[in-house]
Amino acid sequence: MKAILTSLILLFAAEGPLADPQEEARAQDLMREIRCVACENEPISNSGSDIAADMRERVRAMVAEGQSNQEIRTWFAERYGDFVLFRPPSRGIGGFLLWGAPFVFLLAGSLLAFAISRNRRPSDRVEAVAPEDSE
Amino acid sequence: MIEAGHFAAFLALILSFFQAGQGLMGQRRAAGLSAIVAFGAMTFSFVTLIVAFATSDFSVQLVAANSHTLKPFVYKIAGTWGNHEGSMALWCLVGIGFGAVAAKLLATGRPTFEARALGVQGLLNGGALLYLLLASSPFTRLDPAPLQGAGLNPLLQDPALAAHPPMLYLGYVGYSFVFALAAAGLIEGRIDRVWARTARLWALAAFVPLTLGIALGSYWAYYELGWGGWWFWDPVENASLMPWLIGAALLHSVIVTEKRGSFGVWTALLAVLAFCFSMLGAFLVRSGVLTSVHAFAVDPLRGSLLLAGLLVFGGAALILFALRAGKLEAGPNWTTGSREGALMGNNLVLIVATATVLLGTLFPLIAEAAGQTMSVGEPYFNLTFTPIMSLALIALPIVQAWSWGKAALSSLWKWGAAFAGIVAVFWLAGIGPFDIPLLAGIGLAIAVWLIAGAAMEIWRRAKTARRLGKMPARVWGMTLAHAGLGFFVLGAVLETSGRAHTTIALQEGQATSVAGWQLTLDDVESIEGPNWYAERATLTARRGGTVAELQPHKRFYPAAQMPTTETAIHKTGLADLYVALGDGRRNTQGETRWTFEVFLNPFIDLIYLGTILIGLGAFLSMFGRKTKVKEAEA
Repeated sequence: MKAILTSLILLFAAEGPLADPQEEARAQDLMREIRCVACENEPISNSGSDIAADMRERVRAMVAEGQSNQEIRTWFAERYGDFVLFRPPSRGIGGFLLWGAPFVFLLAGSLLAFAISRNRRPSDRVEAVAPEDSE
Repeated sequence: MIEAGHFAAFLALILSFFQAGQGLMGQRRAAGLSAIVAFGAMTFSFVTLIVAFATSDFSVQLVAANSHTLKPFVYKIAGTWGNHEGSMALWCLVGIGFGAVAAKLLATGRPTFEARALGVQGLLNGGALLYLLLASSPFTRLDPAPLQGAGLNPLLQDPALAAHPPMLYLGYVGYSFVFALAAAGLIEGRIDRVWARTARLWALAAFVPLTLGIALGSYWAYYELGWGGWWFWDPVENASLMPWLIGAALLHSVIVTEKRGSFGVWTALLAVLAFCFSMLGAFLVRSGVLTSVHAFAVDPLRGSLLLAGLLVFGGAALILFALRAGKLEAGPNWTTGSREGALMGNNLVLIVATATVLLGTLFPLIAEAAGQTMSVGEPYFNLTFTPIMSLALIALPIVQAWSWGKAALSSLWKWGAAFAGIVAVFWLAGIGPFDIPLLAGIGLAIAVWLIAGAAMEIWRRAKTARRLGKMPARVWGMTLAHAGLGFFVLGAVLETSGRAHTTIALQEGQATSVAGWQLTLDDVESIEGPNWYAERATLTARRGGTVAELQPHKRFYPAAQMPTTETAIHKTGLADLYVALGDGRRNTQGETRWTFEVFLNPFIDLIYLGTILIGLGAFLSMFGRKTKVKEAEA
């Protein structure tokens, strides 16, 4: 039993947060949107794997160097592929479809709903009923 | 014993198809009777499975693969549905159960309609049973029987997760009867007020457990995974959210059909879609197609059969829908600015939100088919789903007072000004004494808006009803659910924007301060449970005069060769101090430093309170006086 537990104990020093709380917060936000490449479906902020720890250190180092969020995302995407970004890039046809479709649906749906209802003004025969009365 | 169970399931299959035949031919009594007998047979069958798990009968292959003698008794029982085959047996049991309850309770005064609904339910149950018996049989024996089982996935050995699948399935499969009602209504060509009165009750009966099932799953993920969050936009979570969103749209659309006779076509479509999305959810989760596209190949038969079921049942319903949609009555006319228009707006937003979740969930699969790999996660949904849903939440208190047909819209500007005022208060507070980002400020304004809106609705209704006691249960239910939505948003915004996360490393005896708390690591010891070993850290947390002891563990289950995190949570009433134990790392001096993930999650309980209120509100709306509909008028 002890053997199993000691095998869990690794020989690395623990990683530490950045000194500046604002920089640390920015690094944490980025860690939540970068995917651990060795895990099933986890951002590096949650993963206990060694590669995730390395990637977190990389994010902190780049934040400390003053690189922008977009520069850091691009660096990871170039190194590991778009797969690594939980915020998928908006470029290309795919990106346009993915990011645009929800708002296109909403717009088209609104126009359709408006068209349906405007074509059907209440006729004289049906009086408007207050919700209280219909209960 | 298990052979008797196998036989009983086979009997339930035959009875279900008999029920389908009799029902579709309009024989109400015969269909109802076979539904009830089938339920008896399937219950017996399921009980034999539970007994096999409870007694650790390892001559049953499923038990050997998923149980263990040292497992606590309650998890032996819960292990029955903690695996693919057992959960499909549960699916069948719930579906047949809904058919039997419907056979007893349905009283619409339309016997052929009821018979056809039971008939369609028999078809759906028969399909599920065929899948169970042919492709996922839990009744297979193992010879020779092993002396010990492989154990249940340790992550599932948890009270919330033992109750989560039955709750979720009551919701998923509950929609099968709503589907059956829609199909029967379409066959008869009558999706009218009488139909809607019945369909609404069954839609609520599915919505309530689905809501609670999702909440249980979320709460489990919060305290068990050690990630400090409560919703991760994981494909498996999205799979359960989609039927919930469609179900919510259905609950609002069916009211228009019930009260006015309008929206019948649309309501029938939603009733069909709710179960299609439940089946899609089952397919996505059970086929393994989502967590990894390659896991699909592990058992392609199961995945393909589930997909075939979805296409056959969904396709048949949509064809029926296309044939009948033109023949349904449209109901009285209405303008955009009316209660009908408001509920249509609600439906539009919920459908677009569902489409967004579907797109985000399936997009990585589509991209992979096109030769690219990509991930769609939380940032995507936060930027699409959240603002779209916010539109409906902002509109809710305004439009809930609108009348049917045509509403007086003269006071619209007052409502707009009131909402802008609340946003301005949070915005000013944000740039002033409190550190609130603008988006969080808008979120908080929406939450306050919803809760105040619910209170105002009660006040407005009370004025006309004269006495609160005279107000119908469904008005209380609706308002409670809408207030619950407000509490949910309040909790979600406060938790997400105010969450503090720090990773700390401590040696025994050391202390550090995190998020206003002084944390001291007293010791780390090895402990043993019935079927696990653990390292357990004992920490003392102090803030002001408050002292709390926290004992996060890291368990290791030898039977499954798998570790789990058991977080420790101290509730202060306003926030959760949440600690997960990480690894112990030895430094060059030979001292062990333990890492801890420490979260301060403000107001997270409001998220669950809100969700429970939504479920409770939906439950209350099932009761009270029936809407009077004259059969002649209908």
